[in-house]
Amino acid sequence: MIQLSKNYSLPERAPEFIPIKIVSVGGAGLNALDRIVLDGLERADVVAINTDVQSLASSVAAHKVQLGRTMTRGLGAGGDPELGYQAAVESADEIREALADARMIFICAGLGGGTGSGAAPYIAQLARDIGALVVAFATLPFSFEGKRRNAQAREALARFNDVANAVICFENDQMGDFVPPQAGIHQAFAVADSTISQSVRSIVNLIQRPGLIHIGFDDLLAALRNRNGRCLFGFGESDSDNRAHEALTQALKNPLMDRGRMLEEAARVLVQVAGGPGMTLSEVEILMQELGRHVSEQTQILFGAAVDARLGDRLAVTIISSLAADHDLIPQQTQPALSAASEKLPVWEQPQEILPRIEIEPEPTPMEVSEPAEMTPFEEPAPIETVPPPPVEPILSKSAPERTRYGEPEPVVSTPHKTPAKEEKPAAEKSVQAKQEVLQFEAVTRGRFEKSEPTIVEGEDLDVPTYLRKKIKVK
Amino acid sequence: MASNNLIIGLEIGTSKICVVVGESRPDGTVKILGVGQTPSRGIRKGEIVDFETAMKCVHEAVVDAEQKSDVMIRSVYVAVAGSHLQSFNNRGCVMLPEDRDEIDEQDVEDVRISAREVSIPAQNAFLHSLIHHYHVDGQDGVLNPVGMLGHKLEADFHIIHGVRTRIQNTIRCVKELPLDVEDVVFGGLASAQVVLTQHQKDLGALVIDVGGGTTDYVLYSEGAVRQSGCVAIGGDHITNDISMGLRIPMARAEKLKIDEGSCILGNCLPGEMISLKDDSGFAGKEIERETLNTIIHLRLRETFELLKRRLDEEPFIGYLGGGIFITGGCSLLSGIDHLAEEIFELPAHVAHAQTASGVTSAVENPQFSTAIGLIKYAQAVQTDRPRRGIRGIFGKIFSGIR
Repeated sequence: MIQLSKNYSLPERAPEFIPIKIVSVGGAGLNALDRIVLDGLERADVVAINTDVQSLASSVAAHKVQLGRTMTRGLGAGGDPELGYQAAVESADEIREALADARMIFICAGLGGGTGSGAAPYIAQLARDIGALVVAFATLPFSFEGKRRNAQAREALARFNDVANAVICFENDQMGDFVPPQAGIHQAFAVADSTISQSVRSIVNLIQRPGLIHIGFDDLLAALRNRNGRCLFGFGESDSDNRAHEALTQALKNPLMDRGRMLEEAARVLVQVAGGPGMTLSEVEILMQELGRHVSEQTQILFGAAVDARLGDRLAVTIISSLAADHDLIPQQTQPALSAASEKLPVWEQPQEILPRIEIEPEPTPMEVSEPAEMTPFEEPAPIETVPPPPVEPILSKSAPERTRYGEPEPVVSTPHKTPAKEEKPAAEKSVQAKQEVLQFEAVTRGRFEKSEPTIVEGEDLDVPTYLRKKIKVK
Repeated sequence: MASNNLIIGLEIGTSKICVVVGESRPDGTVKILGVGQTPSRGIRKGEIVDFETAMKCVHEAVVDAEQKSDVMIRSVYVAVAGSHLQSFNNRGCVMLPEDRDEIDEQDVEDVRISAREVSIPAQNAFLHSLIHHYHVDGQDGVLNPVGMLGHKLEADFHIIHGVRTRIQNTIRCVKELPLDVEDVVFGGLASAQVVLTQHQKDLGALVIDVGGGTTDYVLYSEGAVRQSGCVAIGGDHITNDISMGLRIPMARAEKLKIDEGSCILGNCLPGEMISLKDDSGFAGKEIERETLNTIIHLRLRETFELLKRRLDEEPFIGYLGGGIFITGGCSLLSGIDHLAEEIFELPAHVAHAQTASGVTSAVENPQFSTAIGLIKYAQAVQTDRPRRGIRGIFGKIFSGIR
């Protein structure tokens, strides 16, 4: 994938723009496309593709393609991905024609339905066949839309991952979290649409904008390298006095950014700062320093800067990154620790492997279990490792690596493997608890009521803030 | 100017001192001629802690009111508050002499005195005795027994009392200015006069006056005060909580509370921030809106729950047809009525003075409920109709002390 991108990496300061097409597939995709067009998009063409003629007719896109003229006869795919796929196959020539000449194709689709799940991956395949780079923007349905729909969406997403160069995935459930609980449902969908719109537009700008430090498609792919991952995306713009700070804050506020908390776990982060001619070095410095607080030290920052006169006084920040799928987070996060642990892994497994074979062995294990209970768990594992392994090691040193290669994480094996990780976590939790205790000590203070007669009702000093007395943590 | 029907209400509040000049009209309405106010200093939890400073502030407020209303202020009605104020219900009883069976004014006065023959702490003095109703020879629900025939006159009173010296401090502060003190009235009672109509009092209603330093409450049932009290928790506590919780200066916390505060939880976007501009001596800061609201919510919830526990001691709260009326400066916090509704399980409204004419902008603010209420109270007392409800004889009790 990376090799491919090298072939297509852009010439520095390309004088002309790369032909980009934004293709929307299905009803949800069309909604997003309309949003993109209405929000204003330059330097890219839009194509709307759908089976449903009605929604196609109401789209603002200039170029429209109807799928499956004979198969669905202008109706939707009825939530059946197979039908969507067949319809797309039928109209393959038309699609090819619509996609021709583009070097980069962005496909927006709402997964879960018929056309989005069925046709979109096929269209992505067609786009790849033409020789274009494909970035898919896929939305996953709300969980309340049903398990069936979610399963279809996951399947389509997997297909997308196989075909497209990069997939940016939006979870509608997550969008819901960023809408006030009392807001209408249309707002939740609107947030999803505008988030997609914002990210598509800013990626187009990212690539089209002539940069001082240019960001190419290779950088983008590098930032999005995690397959099946969760995309972190943030865009902020500000023209105030403190625009560097505000633009970054706004970018981190993005629904897909989780307030920058997730950034810490990302391996690579792409940042582009764009501004008018008035953008100063110090502003960029401030911004990058602030961003530095949100990322870990190991994170690779792909930095780009661009001056665009049309931005005027505004300063725009785009942050793109991706995380591995949720369950892979831990290994990625603790890579150095893991490499050290990987040597120990077979050691951990050995006593466990023995257990089923030699039935006399279980005796030591209860003892081992009891010992940690008596003493601190931190110190115990070490002596256990050193003491039991030596006699066993010669036998198992051969078998253990083999087993690991089979990748059979037996439930028994996984438990001791987890314990070191768990032991680390309690340590972290303890430090948090320690902080809370500090708070409790402060609770003695009564602020401005320090010198006045205390209000003691039912044995409680009510001058002490309620949240302190109830031990509710604020912030 | 006909000074006779001029009534001046003075509220020495924790956050502000407020003087309202009103004119009592023969038809029972009140015209507000002017409102003077100053931010108060030297007051904590409704009571004076710095006599000199407080006196200066009162003076400023009085001068302000004099200028605005073009009236010379000589005597005032003063509202008092403070956690020392307590209340209870008691029944008084007198037997008429054998040779007489018509109840007269003196008997009514006697029964009131008899109701006060209970042990209150030695340092305490009576502030109000509010009549519920009379019983004549076992007949319940007599509103005015004068002229009735009977031998045994009983009366249920709601009695409010407080520490004598602490009430006197307030009086002295005013007398030093020098101004005459016509009467001293419990602040919550004064607020209730302006917030509630007679109809609402009859239906039953709870008035909660959430002020700067204290929260006063008065519960009406069947047209009479059944329960009342004062908790020394108010807006100052909310400000203090915000200041400590968010680590920002007091003045900032106060402003933040007024501008942005709400006690509704879960009504803002996760991560919605409020940015505080930097100022001399204060570096700018961003705080989460939900955090702010949580702090306010917890404090108010606790206060209301405390009130509810107190009111639950007697069964009146179940019979409130009028609902809950929240007034005082803190009632301006958004969502406070919803919170009260949730806790008391009764309809709640934010209320302010309505039954007065004149400078209406001053009237239409719950901050002035107590001061305007003083005027309504005074009017009711002065008209001297033998109405049940309000009757202040504090002046009589204190005339000897002053």
